[in-house]
Amino acid sequence: MESLRSILKNFKWLFGKNSEFYPTNMKTGMWAWVGHRLTGLALVVYVFLHLSFITTASMAADGADFDVLMEMTSQPLLVAMDFVLVVVVIYHAMNGFRVVLFDLGMGIKRQKLVFWVMMAVSAVLTVGGLWAIWHLLFRGGA
Amino acid sequence: MADQKIATTKVAGTWPWFLQRLTAVLLIVFLAVHIYVSHFMDVGAETGEEPLITFEEVSLRLDALIYVVADLGMLTCVLFHGLNGLRTVLFDFDMFANRKKTIDVALFVVGVGTLVWGIVILLPFINGA
Repeated sequence: MESLRSILKNFKWLFGKNSEFYPTNMKTGMWAWVGHRLTGLALVVYVFLHLSFITTASMAADGADFDVLMEMTSQPLLVAMDFVLVVVVIYHAMNGFRVVLFDLGMGIKRQKLVFWVMMAVSAVLTVGGLWAIWHLLFRGGA
Repeated sequence: MADQKIATTKVAGTWPWFLQRLTAVLLIVFLAVHIYVSHFMDVGAETGEEPLITFEEVSLRLDALIYVVADLGMLTCVLFHGLNGLRTVLFDFDMFANRKKTIDVALFVVGVGTLVWGIVILLPFINGA
């Protein structure tokens, strides 16, 4: 119990009320930054899973394993989960675009406005992504 | 936020910072092409009813060297961007920033190893033409 408390004490900077990450202490730019990191880390995990599954399935010369994997990943639940991936990628790409703009010296003073403009673009892209996912689901493929 | 970027750049270096932006832009293009080619272009064209990605169809596409080059290009970009992004996150923590050299070597090994793995997997397809 005492050791648990001492472990938790190390995370006060992260979860404590005075932490810059405490939800009510975070403003737009901070949320954008935290979101960028979390989606980035999630995408690293996804990419390595994606690569390992697909390369492993590509090793059989007759392609049987690959076709089985494609069959498995095209089931409706997994295609629907791809939509989550689409949203994560769109957020990371659009906020990333905002970061690049700042590095080029553009829009820093209006960073909040730029964030919401990028989120509006993200919303439009997400509708497009939803359409694409729907299309794949409807055709029964992936 | 500005302080954050400057602080990170100091530890992480200017070149990684620049390449992170360059690969970011390249990845947007690569990803758009990747999704179009693998999920929409020609999928199910032969059978007309089973719109699944098939090994046959992918092998056929990889006969054209441009797809192999594009695949490896995207793999290189995604590995750099992902691992360098992870590196940036890690360096915000003192316990990792104090072990910069170790982290750099470890991530480099993972990156190059995965790239080599990708080349090994793609090799049989290159001679398939």
